[in-house]
Amino acid sequence: MSDKPKVKVATAWLAGCSGCHMSVLDLDERLIDLAQLVEFTASPITDVKEIPEVDVGIIEGAVCNEENEHVLRTMRRRCKVLVALGDCAITGNIPALRNQFKLKDVIARGFVETESTQVGALPGSGPANGDVPKLADRVRPIQEFVKVDVHIPGCPPDADTIWYALTELLAGRMPQWSETNLKYD
Amino acid sequence: MIAPKQITVTIDGKRCAGAEGQTILEIARANDIYIPTLCYLKQLSPWGGCRLCIVEIVGSPKVVPACSTPATDGSEVVATSPRLRQLRRNTLELLFSERNHICPICPMNNGDCGLQHQGYVHGIETIRYPYLYPALPVDLSGPYFGLDHNRCILCTRCVRTCEEMEGVHTLDIAHRGIHNRVVVDIGASFGTSDTCTSCGACVAACPTGALFDKAAAFRGKLNTCQTVRTTCSECPVGCGLLVYTRENRIVEVFGDDEASVNRGHLCRRGRYETWAEPRSRILQPLVRRGEKLVPATWDEALGAVRNAMNNESDWQRGMLISPRITNETVSVLKALGPGYDRVGMVVGTGEAAFCRSPEFAADPMRSIEEADGIIILGAQPSRDNRVVAAKIRHSVRRQDAKLLIFHSRKSDLDVYADVCAGVVSLERAFWKRVTDTLKDVKHPVLVYGPAAMTPIGYTVLERLIGVFEKKRGGHAPQLVPLPVTTNSLALSKAGVEPLDDVAAWLGVQPLDFLHVVASDEPDGGARLLNGKHVRRLLEEIEYLVVQASYESALTELADVVLPAAVWSEKSGTITNFEGRELPLRPVLPPRGEAREDRAILEALLK
Repeated sequence: MSDKPKVKVATAWLAGCSGCHMSVLDLDERLIDLAQLVEFTASPITDVKEIPEVDVGIIEGAVCNEENEHVLRTMRRRCKVLVALGDCAITGNIPALRNQFKLKDVIARGFVETESTQVGALPGSGPANGDVPKLADRVRPIQEFVKVDVHIPGCPPDADTIWYALTELLAGRMPQWSETNLKYD
Repeated sequence: MIAPKQITVTIDGKRCAGAEGQTILEIARANDIYIPTLCYLKQLSPWGGCRLCIVEIVGSPKVVPACSTPATDGSEVVATSPRLRQLRRNTLELLFSERNHICPICPMNNGDCGLQHQGYVHGIETIRYPYLYPALPVDLSGPYFGLDHNRCILCTRCVRTCEEMEGVHTLDIAHRGIHNRVVVDIGASFGTSDTCTSCGACVAACPTGALFDKAAAFRGKLNTCQTVRTTCSECPVGCGLLVYTRENRIVEVFGDDEASVNRGHLCRRGRYETWAEPRSRILQPLVRRGEKLVPATWDEALGAVRNAMNNESDWQRGMLISPRITNETVSVLKALGPGYDRVGMVVGTGEAAFCRSPEFAADPMRSIEEADGIIILGAQPSRDNRVVAAKIRHSVRRQDAKLLIFHSRKSDLDVYADVCAGVVSLERAFWKRVTDTLKDVKHPVLVYGPAAMTPIGYTVLERLIGVFEKKRGGHAPQLVPLPVTTNSLALSKAGVEPLDDVAAWLGVQPLDFLHVVASDEPDGGARLLNGKHVRRLLEEIEYLVVQASYESALTELADVVLPAAVWSEKSGTITNFEGRELPLRPVLPPRGEAREDRAILEALLK
């Protein structure tokens, strides 16, 4: 076991499907190698909620509501290198499809008009009013809120791509993207 | 024609030979130098709008688009540099931000998209501009393909293809600036368009997933498919097809750009009706038991046919053939012939006379391309030979060729004609107009179809020959015969008799046994029943055998149905209107128990 202090990493998922985190888990045995060099702190996988001061913050998902924005800004404040993991964080991707419609129409469709809904109600119109994070008019990628240092495209990026990006960062380099390792889907 | 002057251009330090008039891009490509492009397509006039092919010319501070800049002899061009790479990146980033290019849900992702490819080539993992997320519509109203404006990069390849290849100009760009949008006619949709021919050339030209084939979407990435080059058997033009298959099914059908007659272009029939139409395929032999047709084995079915053939020695036996059969089937027909009292080929209306003196045109597409005057006599290429119609439209619209149409039926080409005569006129004023129209025509082409082989047709032909004989200068018209049915001319030449009137042929002496080789006719042979009295005459036949690929009103009448292979399962040759034998190559193994016509008929010989 080396004496070098482990690199502290925190991750969070915003408006995402968790697929990018699943892709991280897809590293399989390489997670054991990673664990020699990296300490996972807050993360949906470790289920530690409070983000401490870390070296690397990894964000999956776009910003769709005020809670996402809050988590994102917290992560940015508490990390040195912020990584946008996956297309949702980088471009908006699937969650951003709702930008084609007015928010009120999206909510009405989702909570009242869906075919299987029996008794629909709009959120914010009942006792939980105020507790449900307010939805933003538009879903946006994370770099429209904070400075992002590293982008890993993919939907999800596959484990090899994530491994490449993380090992480059651990070696003190920025990952280089080219025709050989880029994939937008 | 004087050969163009040879020039030399240095591109990225490499001395490249070219010809005066060629663009920088053409010379670069001929010398294996890569310059990225998006809006460029070799067969279309250059647009220069995507700004990806920009290059530097030493001595000038500007960058110019290589696709639309003629190369200057002795110039030095830089096609690869950090400055150019950054400029191209900027353009791509703006493109990505402008509309909704969401790769994960697009059928062109993972290798089939030009925009995605350029993103990878330029190492783009994020963009600097905010995404606009415009709300753009999707037009799914057309029968075979859709248009998703969210994926469009306004490269105008579809617009130029529709104008220059199909010649109908259905597509154009409407509005201005950021509101630019590809538009169908003037604000119509594909489903309501008056001009769209559903040739699908725009879809083939689209670099992104904006235009996409409905039946192909998500059925397999083209770069993971196998390809087979074969020939379309829907009409006598005989266009080359490039068929993509994966896991035992056809994913998509495009025109073969290596085929000389169509050079990658197709019409709705070859491009879509060959594979994207739902039809009831006959998968196994059927034998009638009482009221119903029940599945049987080949042995049972062929046995039943042989019994019926040989049973009654005084039976009148006939055979009707579809003009879609391959040339190689003729020898088997001839061997079978003696067993039948009469054998006839069911050609198009009025086509028998055409077939009896079969003529083929030498390089007709080039003739039409070079024509400055085109006369259509008794033919409807816009219905029967649509890729020829596209070529005619190209000459008329892009090269100002004169067009004169003599046909009693209206057609979609009429709007392009200088003279359009539905009724033959012998009036002096009319023929003066014809003469005046043809006055400056030096390279005329006369396209004629079955309706030209009639008294009216001959009258007009005589008059036209008169007009040309009196003209000074120019050539006599190049003749282009345009048959209607696929292989009828060659089959007739090989000795298969074309029929003028099927009802008369059936009725001249009532048949007891009839074998109809409907082959892979898309309607299952049902067109046979369109003739007056034919249905009644067929019902009176004691024993009816139908060899077909698809269920139809005809197969319903049969005592035995033999499943025939379709175009994608056949091998052999068909002869197109140029007289060229073109190969049919099997794309997939025959479905179910279907067999090629030739094999079925050979089995009957035994």
